[in-house]
Order: sequence, then C-alpha cells, then structure tokens
Amino acid sequence: MTSSAPTRVLLFCLLLIGLILISTGLCSQMLRLGSMLLAVSTTTEAPAAAELPPITDQTVVKNSATSSEIPILLTPAGRRMEAFNPAVSFFKFLLTAALVFWVVARWLRTPIILRGEFLKTMFLYEALMVGVIVVLFPFFWMVCTSFKPSGTELKINISNPFDVVPTNPTLNNFKKVLKIEPGNTASDAKPQNKEDAEEQKKNFGTYFLNSLIVASTAAFFVTLFASMAGYVFAKKELPYKSTMFGIFMATMMIPGMMFMVPQFFMICKMGLFGTKWAMFLPHLASVFGVFMLKQFMETIPSSLIEAARIDGASEWQIFRIVIIPLSMPILLTLFLLTFLFHWSNFLWQLIVTDFQEPLSITLPVALSLFRGQYTSDLGLIMSASCFSVVPIVILFLIAQRYFIEGMTQGAVKE
Amino acid sequence: MIIKPNLLSRLLLLFALPLLFVSFLTLVGCGHREEKTADGRIILNFWHTYGDQEEMILKEIIKDWEKSNASYTVQATRLPFDGHKAKLKTALTVERGPDMARVDWSFVCELARKNALVDLAALGFDKIRDQYLAAPLGTNFIDGKYFGLPDQTTCVALFYNKKMFREAGLNPDAPPKTWDEFIEQGKKLTDPTQGRFAFAMDNTLWWTLPFFNTFGAKIIASDGVTCLLDSKEAIAAMDLKSSLYNTHKIEAGSWRAGSISPDSGFVNGKYAMIFSGPWNLPKFTNSGIEFGVGLIPAGPAGTSTNVGGTNVVIFNTSKNQQACFDFLTYFTSAEVHARWCKALNQIPVNLKSYDLVKYDDPNLMKFLEQMKSAVANPIVTHSDVLEDIINPEMEAIMTGQKTSMEALKNAARKIEKKVLRRDS
Repeated sequence: MTSSAPTRVLLFCLLLIGLILISTGLCSQMLRLGSMLLAVSTTTEAPAAAELPPITDQTVVKNSATSSEIPILLTPAGRRMEAFNPAVSFFKFLLTAALVFWVVARWLRTPIILRGEFLKTMFLYEALMVGVIVVLFPFFWMVCTSFKPSGTELKINISNPFDVVPTNPTLNNFKKVLKIEPGNTASDAKPQNKEDAEEQKKNFGTYFLNSLIVASTAAFFVTLFASMAGYVFAKKELPYKSTMFGIFMATMMIPGMMFMVPQFFMICKMGLFGTKWAMFLPHLASVFGVFMLKQFMETIPSSLIEAARIDGASEWQIFRIVIIPLSMPILLTLFLLTFLFHWSNFLWQLIVTDFQEPLSITLPVALSLFRGQYTSDLGLIMSASCFSVVPIVILFLIAQRYFIEGMTQGAVKE
Repeated sequence: MIIKPNLLSRLLLLFALPLLFVSFLTLVGCGHREEKTADGRIILNFWHTYGDQEEMILKEIIKDWEKSNASYTVQATRLPFDGHKAKLKTALTVERGPDMARVDWSFVCELARKNALVDLAALGFDKIRDQYLAAPLGTNFIDGKYFGLPDQTTCVALFYNKKMFREAGLNPDAPPKTWDEFIEQGKKLTDPTQGRFAFAMDNTLWWTLPFFNTFGAKIIASDGVTCLLDSKEAIAAMDLKSSLYNTHKIEAGSWRAGSISPDSGFVNGKYAMIFSGPWNLPKFTNSGIEFGVGLIPAGPAGTSTNVGGTNVVIFNTSKNQQACFDFLTYFTSAEVHARWCKALNQIPVNLKSYDLVKYDDPNLMKFLEQMKSAVANPIVTHSDVLEDIINPEMEAIMTGQKTSMEALKNAARKIEKKVLRRDS
C-alpha cells in the first residue's frame, strides 16, 4: 500500500470503528448466550412455567424490544438472566476495550513502512470475521430459538434484529423433544404395559440412535462396495470394462424418484418394511461413489501394485494394504458424503418407516412430526435440530483435513 | 492384465458376498402385520396426522368405541403431515395402505379419482350427511359422490392488533366490517416511515379465497370444465386486493420474497391486521401481543372465508369398510366431536356440536361464527397445479405487470386446459 500517512491513519480509524462494531456485537451475543445457558442450567422450572408464567411471584418488565406496552412476564431463568445483565455489559466493554487497546498498541509499534501491510491484514481479519458471522449466524439463531418459549420464536428485537438471544429462556423445548418431564426419571416412570413402553421409545434419543445406525452403516457399506468396484474399474482389465462403466454412469441420468416405487415394492416383498435395512439397502450401490473412487485410484501408480504382487501379495492384500491406505482421503470423503445423505434423507425413510415401530423412525422423519398442516412448532424443531447437527459437526471436524484433500485431489492432473 | 483362475474365484466370492448379505436380510426382515390381535379382534388401521394432544384424545375415543365394538380394535398410526401424501400413495401402490386415513382436504379428490376411496353412500352416509358443516363437507364431494367425512376444519379470519388500533385513534373493539371501512381504517394505521402497515397478506390462491368469496366469485363452474376466474366478480376481488398494495399502499408487500412474513410482522407490531387461522391463537397469546379477531371484511356477497382442515376417508382395499365407517361416524358424532373440540379448542365440523361447545375465548368464538359463512374451496384432482397456475398470475397483478383482467383470463384458460379438461 503506497498511500500517504494521513490516509493510512484515516483507514486505520475506519477499520478500528468496524472492529469495535463487530467486537461489540459478537461479545454482546456470546456473553448473552453464556448468561442464558448459565441461567437455564441453574434454574429449576415447571414444564409450562415459561409458556404461561404465574400471575403471582412475577417480574413485569416493559418489552423494549418490541416497544410494546404489554408486560412480558419473566420466568425464573429470565429473571436470573436479567440479573446477569450488568456483568454482561461490563465484560462486553472490557473485552472490546482490551481488543482496541491491543490493536492500537500493535499499530503504534508497527514501523511506518509496514503499516500498509498492517492495514491489509486488519481488513482481511475483519472481512473473515464478517464471513464467519454470516456462516455461523443461522446456527446461532437455531440454538437461541431452541431456548425460546412457545409463541415467542418469531419475536425479534426491533432496535437490533441481530440480537436473537431470548430474554426469557426455557429448557421446555428440549424436555419435550427428549420426553423428559420433571419427576419422570427412569426409576419412577417405569412403563405400565407394552403400549407405554413403545410410547416411551418415541423420543429423540431413539430417533437419533436410529439415524446414527442407519447413516453410519450405509456409509460404511457404500464406501466398501464403491472402493472395490472403483479399484476394479481403475486397475483391472475386464472384457467390456469401458462399456460397463459407461452403462453405470448412464444410470446417474435417471432421477432417483423413478426407482422409488419399484424399490419400495421390492423392500416390502423382501419383508424388510419398517426395518433399518430398508432405509439404506437400495442405496448401497452408489455409481457416484464408484466414479469418484475410480477417478482417484487411477492416479495411484500401477507400479506399486506390481511391486506388491512381486512380493507375493494376494489380490485382497493389494487392495487392503496398498489401495485402501493410499485412497484414505477420498474414502473418508465418500463416507462423509454418504453419511450426510442418509442422515438427512427424508422421503425414502418416510416411505419405508413403520410408524408403529419407534425403532424404525429416523431423525428427518421425526423432525417433520413437529410440522402441522398450517403451523410449525419452531422451538421444538430447533431444539431437535441442535441434536441433529452434532454428529455432522463432529464428523466434519475429525475428517475435515481428509475431506478437503479428497475433494481437491484428482481435480488437477499434472 | 489377465485374471488367473484362482483370482477369478476370489473375485466371484467378493461378488457373492453382497448377494449373501441380501439373502440374510430377507431372512431377518419382519413380515406383514397381523390383521387380527392375539385375542382375535380385527385390526382397523387408521393413519392420521394429529399432534401430541390430539393423539391422546383420539386414543381415549378409540377406547370408548371399542367398548361397544368388541370385535374390532383401531390401530392409530401417526404420520407427519409433511409427506403424508407420498407415504399414502406409495403404500397404496403396493397394497400396504391402511383401512382409513386422515388426509388433507385437497388430497381427497386425487384419491377418489384414482379409485382409492370408498363411496360413502353405500355405507349409509346419506343418513348422517346433514349433520356436517356444508363448506368442509363440500371438500369431500367429488363427481356427485361423497368420499370422506370432515374431521377437522379451519378457516381464516381477521386478526388485528388492538394497541395499534388505539394508537391510530381507532376503536380497538371495532375491527373493520366492510372493505371500505378496511381501507379507511387502514390509511390511519399505516406509517411507512416507521415501517408500520395496516395489513399484510400472502399471495397464493388459498389465502386469496376470502377476497374472491366476499365478492361472490366462483373459481370453477358447476359443469366442472369452465373456469370462472375471469368473471367480473373475480376481477373486482383481485382489483381490490391489488389496490391495497398499489393504490392505497396500506399493505406491506409481505407476499414478496424476502419480506417479513405476516405472522412475524404481526407478532412484532409491524402489521396491524393479517388473515390467519385459529392455529395461531395460542402462539399469539403466548407472544404477549394484545390482539383481537374479527370477521373478514364484507364485500358485495357479505363476509366469507376459505376452508382448510382435513377429512377422514376409507380405502377400497379395506376388508372392513362398514366397521371403519361406523368408527368414523362415531368419531365425528355430535357428543364425541364436542368433547374433542372442547379439549382442543377447535372449530366443530358437526353442526350439532356447535350447540354443545361454548368457549370462553371470544376470539375462538369469532372463528366459529366465521366458519358458518365459509364457501367450499374449488375441488380439482391436483390442487397444487391450480395454485401453480394462478399464483404467478396473481404475482403479475400485484407487481403491476398485468391487469387483473389480463392475468385472470390467462389463468382461466390455462386452468381449463391443464386442469379441468384432464379431470373431466
């Protein structure tokens, strides 16, 4: 940057103002989220307390968010959260001031000749922070909405629409989703009969586990079969190999919906209706997976395979010891993509679900139970969604290095 | 590379593994459900889409019915409303459908015309037909026959924000009764500088039916092949709707993509009036907003509204159609239905239940009053296609690209060609 000193100072001031705004907003929301979590976790409340607060023992505050004169009755958690407000404001100020102090100190310490670079870096960081906020805001909103009492999910703070942390938080949505009521512990809520036992299974814990089993089993088998097929198409000589592969690829042009009824018919005839097998069995043959792995495996030098063969390795050993380790990035990518597909697959799982059997109900299908003909229970949907994103986040965090490697490898052949 | 024989056998083994796997699965799979219970009672499968509270009451009603019908048991299975059509269609295709089901009002016609449903006349429906509200019952009347019973009905009415009325110097207990009053009061309630508007609406066919109905406009003629969307009543209704946004500027434009939805704007004090249904009463009450419910403003044909809700139907594949009919008759009978409505704060579909149900909530009572002036929705095999044709034309009217006459004439011809001729 070759700008003059006053321009640099002006740019620095502008960037500093931007930083203060971003930092204040971020600190405010994160601290309010923290105080909300602390408040709800340290307060006991009756199941309906948050939705219909008692007339007695209530705190009436003016709802400044909507400039309405209608009193908003605070729940115990809301009252505790309100008590945290001075601390939130103090720490917000403290953190922002510390950041500003640190940035100004760095600026002053930076030699004049390097200040252009400093400004560039500062702009880059701020732009990245905005990017992160844009990407993560929907998740943040989801978490906040899951703590809102029924009926207030759509309420927004008119003066600051980005302030989405509820003032009146409740755990009721989570309790309803997990079917945990106060006093309904495992010891004192033993099912009276078979019907009650089945009813107790209809909770998000069961649905979560069902989805986890279905998605991980499907992802494992798809990756296994696709890697075998990909290896054959990439490294083996077969009569009509290219033609066969072309035919396989052509099937990708037929929309999956076309197969739905015949596949359902076959599943029923096989007696698999309402079982977890029905959820993924028709999707185990993944042409996309075979294609992806074949493309990758073609880049593995054939000399490695020949060397292994000379050393006396069997075909299975070559596949297991040479091909699989070298293909790990792409295998993990396929595993993750397949897991994601089955984790969020709604229509097929809905069709093959036996709703009398809770062990066959998966998360996407269960989530749709919260949607009615004209209305949706947003609080319940959001709290259930909080659970449903957990495995995806964990998987992605574990496999992100391989995932990005897998997605980029094979893109360019040199 | 040439594959050696021993290698070939290993590869064959690899191919055989998945086959073995599938064979194994066929053995572990569960078979068809029993049609009888262990104690010999015949199972009547009933697929529904009720919520948690409704499901609890349903189970009680089922138990009561089974007391006097000891040879049967009703197995109620809850499906999500989203996707219940796909679930039913695929299940019926492979003959795994239920004996009876609760379905969206717009789905009855498609099922009936695909010969999936039982004509209720043969089961004795004529004797009890008159006890149901005409508008929801009308959604079951297809090609001169009744193929279902209404079990739940709903409609939209006018929700208004009392605080905003008071601030605008209007009587908070007197919502507009006619469209003229609506526009007059709307001008006082609108303040674009504050982002406040008198009215917010959706721009799809179902949400526009209150406009059409208050002008006495019909969508489809009784011959079933003529679309009357280009009638002078329909054009006048659409002109009025368009003028709220374009001429009088009292409508917020909430139908545009990316704008604040009517519900959200109403809860946040941005919109003074919206059309909505009784399903929002608990939500709006919990949100702390001070609101009231009034009738849809009257047009030349008086006040009127649309019809929503669900119907219960019996499938042709059922071996126990009479028993299913008996259960559904019991389920929607005056006393049982009144019990259901009282427990769930719902609008009765049974006229006799009206006398048995009294609510403390004046807003809910207003819906009961509004329901009596409801007009049955247009019945076609694929209501989504009807919406797909009309909605873009209405969008063109609202954005000023077409006049109401041009757009509705265009829509009418398309509907006749793509929907009505196919149906006939």
